Amino acid sequence: MIVEGTILPIPRANIDTDQIIPAHYLTRIDTDGMGEHLFEGMPDGAKLLALHPDASIVVAGENFGCGSSREHAAWALLGRGFKAVIAPSFARIFHENAYNNGVVPVILPPETVDELMGARTIAIDVDGETLRADGGEPISFELDPLRKQFVLGGGFLNYLNAKIPAVRAWEAAR
Amino acid sequence: MPRSLFDKIWDAHVIEELPGGNALVFVDLVVAHEITTPPGALAIEKDFGDKLYEPDRIVAMIDHVAPAKDAATAIQAQTVRTWAKRQNIRFHDIGNNGICHVLVPERGYVTPGMTVCCGDSHTCTLGALGAFALGIGTTAQAGAMLAGCLILQRPKVMRIEITGELPPDATAKDLTLSVIATIGFRGGTGYVLEYTGSAVRALNMEQRMTLCNMAIEAGATTGIIAADETTAAYLAATPAAPAGWAALQADPDAQYAATVTIDGSAIRPVVSWGTNPGENSPIDGFVPLDADAESLAYMDLKPGQPLKSIAVDQAFIGSCTNSRIGDLRAAAAVLRGQHVSVPTIITPGSQAVRRQAEREGLHDIFQDAGALWTHSSCGPCLGMSMGVIAAGTRVVSSSNRNFPGRMGDGGRVHLAAPAVVAASAILGRIAAPAEVAQRELAPV
Repeated sequence: MIVEGTILPIPRANIDTDQIIPAHYLTRIDTDGMGEHLFEGMPDGAKLLALHPDASIVVAGENFGCGSSREHAAWALLGRGFKAVIAPSFARIFHENAYNNGVVPVILPPETVDELMGARTIAIDVDGETLRADGGEPISFELDPLRKQFVLGGGFLNYLNAKIPAVRAWEAAR
Repeated sequence: MPRSLFDKIWDAHVIEELPGGNALVFVDLVVAHEITTPPGALAIEKDFGDKLYEPDRIVAMIDHVAPAKDAATAIQAQTVRTWAKRQNIRFHDIGNNGICHVLVPERGYVTPGMTVCCGDSHTCTLGALGAFALGIGTTAQAGAMLAGCLILQRPKVMRIEITGELPPDATAKDLTLSVIATIGFRGGTGYVLEYTGSAVRALNMEQRMTLCNMAIEAGATTGIIAADETTAAYLAATPAAPAGWAALQADPDAQYAATVTIDGSAIRPVVSWGTNPGENSPIDGFVPLDADAESLAYMDLKPGQPLKSIAVDQAFIGSCTNSRIGDLRAAAAVLRGQHVSVPTIITPGSQAVRRQAEREGLHDIFQDAGALWTHSSCGPCLGMSMGVIAAGTRVVSSSNRNFPGRMGDGGRVHLAAPAVVAASAILGRIAAPAEVAQRELAPV
């Protein structure tokens, strides 16, 4: 699986999920309709999106996705066509939500992320765990080998559903 | 091998180890509210025959927007309502509800040693009861409801010892904000914060909940405090009065990935000045000279500005951080006989807290002071309902997040303890409770 596209650089740390999707949009019982409100809570969100209208990969600073557990942040990214986020670190819950929804969370050292902020297009080889910026040399990263399956094939709930007999057996022996 | 408190709970709940350092972890209780639950519940209905692992291991409530504010939130509430009824899930509807992190402990649903999850980041609050409680996304919550388990990376454990005792004017809110300032806004990422020490032991359960509530604001997976006689007395007084739980403790020689020691006697009342909770300073102090420029630009503040010079447009006492009866008593002690000078909203954390406050006459004190006394809801804390602030305005709030736009697009939030919020509401600027008392003593 290759995720390729132009980038949306957000050269700041601590982009919280309230900035990614404000709470007043969390009023649906499905996962649709979030994309049009992506980054509305970020003071310069609309400006950044207008500068990079076709972007599909976010490149951001440390601790991306901190704060609220709202999975709507991942749904909003997907809804706007974003398939990956590259950052030096992610907040735990967003990190899990990204994997569970097929948004590729790429962790790279801060100085590498800083360099990527200047790239135009990035191609991410999810299976091979490498990426290339503007056709340059491949840069390696690591994905969680288990959660990577959920990016490549979906099916987080199918995976857990298949675990139910093991869970019941464990509980019976508890 | 000696183990931490967290290690003991983790080890007792791991079903199997999974690739990549992940583990399948059994979940004793899933807490479900109307904002994050519906897509997961509907996915289980659509794709998995509507079968839940064990409905008895779920408790549901309407808490974020209570009652519904519009057609969309009414559909959210109705979805949870009909789902809970269909699945025979314990359900707390409006009138009998509360913010999940207030209601769940006060009913006695959580006991020490349990694992608890909820599609809500402040689930770490419940670590105050000696449980491993964490916030997760909607899909992970659906997994916990479908299969009774979570997939988790084992977190490291940071021991945070608060020595000595807190000064009389310092609260659990000041302590938790100070912990975040000490370890950093993302300093807890990848860790469970195991709070210990004499100043922690001296906290009552509500105060311990306030301390654990903001572990997520340091990026931590959760906070946790070992159960003791305070925990036992609290649980015995709950409606469920759970029995049969064991008070797990860390082994004396347990090894920790990190250890932090904070002098409790040095904790001062603090107020946030920036756009994350770690950006806070003692109320008697100033906006730091090296404060982040972007934070100050958003907050419209200058380095070196005295915090007490900051005028506020609105005040809010509520949220899962500070909305319990002790918080309301602290606010009432300041507001008694006074009058607020800015719009002030006081929102109890649960309907049970509301009723207790009214038995004590606190609602009269609040309303005599000109504050709006509401029913329970998450309300304006997350900018969803019941007091969302206008762009460009400034609120002093007992809640937990001061992110840009958190309580309303373009709004500015200063986090503080309830008594400080009350004093600020009276004086129309960031103010310490002692200033209200001094004003009374001053010659007219």
